[in-house]
Amino acid sequence: MTFALTWLLTLLLIAFPYPSFLLFLLPHFGYLFVTWWGLMRNYQLSMTLLLLSSLPVDVLYGTALGLHGLIFASIAYALTLVGPSIRQVNWLRQSTIIFIVLMIASAVSYWVRTLTGQSPEFYILVLQAFFSALFWSPLRWLYDFLAQYKQDSEAQRQ
Amino acid sequence: MRPLFSETSVAAVRLIVAVTFSVATIFVDSRFDALTLVRQTIKTGLWPVEQLSFLPGKLLNELIQWSQSQKLILQRLEAIALENQRLKTEQLKLHTLRAENSELRRLLSVKERVNERLLQAQIERLSNDPFVHRVTINRGLLAGVMIGQPVISADGLVGQVVVTYPNAADVLMMTDATHHLPVQVTRTRDRAIAVGVGRMDRIELRNLPNTVDIVPGDIIETSGLGARFQPGIPVAEVKEVRRAPGQPFAWVVAEPLAPLARLSLVMVDLSKGES
Repeated sequence: MTFALTWLLTLLLIAFPYPSFLLFLLPHFGYLFVTWWGLMRNYQLSMTLLLLSSLPVDVLYGTALGLHGLIFASIAYALTLVGPSIRQVNWLRQSTIIFIVLMIASAVSYWVRTLTGQSPEFYILVLQAFFSALFWSPLRWLYDFLAQYKQDSEAQRQ
Repeated sequence: MRPLFSETSVAAVRLIVAVTFSVATIFVDSRFDALTLVRQTIKTGLWPVEQLSFLPGKLLNELIQWSQSQKLILQRLEAIALENQRLKTEQLKLHTLRAENSELRRLLSVKERVNERLLQAQIERLSNDPFVHRVTINRGLLAGVMIGQPVISADGLVGQVVVTYPNAADVLMMTDATHHLPVQVTRTRDRAIAVGVGRMDRIELRNLPNTVDIVPGDIIETSGLGARFQPGIPVAEVKEVRRAPGQPFAWVVAEPLAPLARLSLVMVDLSKGES
């Protein structure tokens, strides 16, 4: 249920019609969603669910189906490897490590986009990774809040 | 739920499976276009989410409209009435010209080429991916929109419909890096292929010989080759021409006539899908 809530929030943030001049300054909310799950709740996340949840993200962004599945899997894998060591560090160090992980994801994205006929500029992907890392703290707080809310409401019901 | 990546070796295996599945999906979707139905189903399911995300913008618009004074509204109405009168006069002239053109074409035994049935649509959202130049419009299959139909604005061509849903459609803009469009130079009738380069303010013309007669300021229009777009739709204005000695082709950059980044209303040419 927490997965569905956080996923819906992510889809809402992606689907929101931002003005075109903001496109280069926006974080990739899908990456942050996987970052939260890969970092904070990786013991609860299944790969099938991750791949299925990436398909609507592909549809909303208008990219080839499977592109975000590939990137999500890469991020989740990388964060699982480094997760325990960065979960407790301060937000600045956490954001820095997330930036590096997202840069690897951006490189994967760049490679796939080039193969599918797009002509991406790498600096835009770097910008996206940077803003995603910058937005990590507020987004983490939002997801934590949702997860806590879900937990509290379940406890009250019991 | 089963845990993800509980051990490193298991994690690596799962990563390989996920990567294989994803790469196969990307390949099938981008090369064979075989997952349109999946895309349509997902988009239909996302309809409530999208409507919910449009809500703040709609509320803000309502609030702005509500706060506008009556005087301002009256002034705007007056201006619109005047513009309407002018357009009606222009339309009369257009009718005469169209009739004359039709008569001349009949005399020359040339098939009538203008058969417009335009459907007005509103752009609901632009893809948030900076490399994908796609917009979603608020008309879909139920309004008669079909894949391949051209989308135009008051200034010129915008792009074409690539995916349709019951109440919406995705339009690939001509500036997308995967979009190719057969065009011709209005002045000289030289044909070329206009290719998007992933920037809203430019397209490039390919396959024009180095000696071609083309200068900045020339207007580019659709040539009608490929039978997807009817000929004569204005596309772009030439901005830059570079001719490198020894090279077979000229490098021509043009700027779309339609303000693609600021568009809100477009028209779908329904007659194209019917033919």
